[in-house]
Amino acid sequence: MNDDIAPRLAAYLAKTLGVSAVDVDGLTRISGGASRETYRFAARYYRDGRAYDRRLILRRDPPASLIDTERSAEFRAYKAFHKLGMPVPEPIVLELDNGPLDRPFFIMEEIQHCTVASVIQPDPYGALAPKIGHQFFSTLGRIAKADPDKIGLSDLEGARENSWKHEVDRWEREIDEDEREPQPIARAAIRWLKRNPPPPAQKVCVVHGDYRSGNFLYDAEGNIRAILDWEMTHLGDPLEDLGWAIDPLWSHFNPERPAGLVSREHAIAFWEQASGLKAEPRALFWWEIFASLKGLAIWISAAREYGDGRNADPVNLFSGWYCLAFHNKVLADRLSAVGA
Amino acid sequence: MKPEVDKILETTAIQLLTQIAPELPAGYTQGSAGLIGILLGFCANEYENGAELRASENAELRNLLAELEAAVEDVRLCVKLGAVMGERDASLKISDLNYSNAQLKKLLIDVQTYLETRNDDQAKLARREIWAVLKASAKARLVKLPGM
Repeated sequence: MNDDIAPRLAAYLAKTLGVSAVDVDGLTRISGGASRETYRFAARYYRDGRAYDRRLILRRDPPASLIDTERSAEFRAYKAFHKLGMPVPEPIVLELDNGPLDRPFFIMEEIQHCTVASVIQPDPYGALAPKIGHQFFSTLGRIAKADPDKIGLSDLEGARENSWKHEVDRWEREIDEDEREPQPIARAAIRWLKRNPPPPAQKVCVVHGDYRSGNFLYDAEGNIRAILDWEMTHLGDPLEDLGWAIDPLWSHFNPERPAGLVSREHAIAFWEQASGLKAEPRALFWWEIFASLKGLAIWISAAREYGDGRNADPVNLFSGWYCLAFHNKVLADRLSAVGA
Repeated sequence: MKPEVDKILETTAIQLLTQIAPELPAGYTQGSAGLIGILLGFCANEYENGAELRASENAELRNLLAELEAAVEDVRLCVKLGAVMGERDASLKISDLNYSNAQLKKLLIDVQTYLETRNDDQAKLARREIWAVLKASAKARLVKLPGM
């Protein structure tokens, strides 16, 4: 498949970059989630007498996607936050037409010499955890602080009023459409979330949508170099991302350290300091319950994709099995503790 | 040779994880092969324990629903609960157990939703009983990763 893509990608890039020819070398598929096919490659070309050798990433829509996500929103988010000087890869080009590579795609720079943590790896950050933890939660605070109107993202999907309800309704619809068997814990969570709405959002912000350990690149010195996977970005409550980031599934089996990085107190303090916002405990608890429910909805969809044979990526089976069981346990423990 | 499928799957999983995946080119292919190895490990456990887990859970759900009938005043729900009392799993085939499990959980969702509309002590106690069973079920269904 890679051999098929490479010459077409080369032709596309030559046309887009306005050069006579581009050599696409080493095109290799890498892990990058089930919602996009991700490839690494080198693009070499001459322009104005100068030789270029660029390391790039291709993110192409798969034949069937786990969650329908808006690739132009993802591309625009990369663009907006890269411009702000945040650790985000530079986006190069977005192509919505199916012609060049059969499905829509975008290309961005590759951040090299970095590591991404596996969610099922215990203590991936080691001694770098405090340093990375400070950056991780501060960067999330800076995303929350950014004004969507000023960075050109005011028209992202989402609700400016009662975003909590918009989000619960969205993920309930996913479960309605994709569940293969009754889900009593997910249904109980949805009812609890609706009966106990959170306080109004302190502001409307850009929500990354999947901000977590495993979705950023860091170097050997413990510097976060790239926040990735903006495919579920939308407008909403700043606490939504914080609730997701500290969800136990991303803790690398250490319940004392959200995201496997720092204590809960430090995580919240770093976020509050960078965002200028408050993580009021009752509101944050609501968004933590929501985070696990959203997780369940995604894993239920993954199980459906796999079960129906639409997308046999083993990530879908793993999500629909391991992650679904994990979040059922988290929600059952938390909701029973509050007498839901 | 007995068809010790769990052992076959375990051995295959270990081969994939320790011998085959490391030899593949780094990237998606290698990552997927490793993940398939982990999934085969899940399958091994499911082969050995899947029927027991489902049969036990179905029995727990039937006991729970039978106890909940006393707390339910809704006639339509009482009829459904009464119908469940005498039911049994059609067989120990996973598909039959899954079918029963889905029917029982569907009814449990209805009963739990109904009980959440009431604030009396009987309803509160019944809700606690439901959560106790859901917690136990969620714990029993947790999937263990290799080496964890």
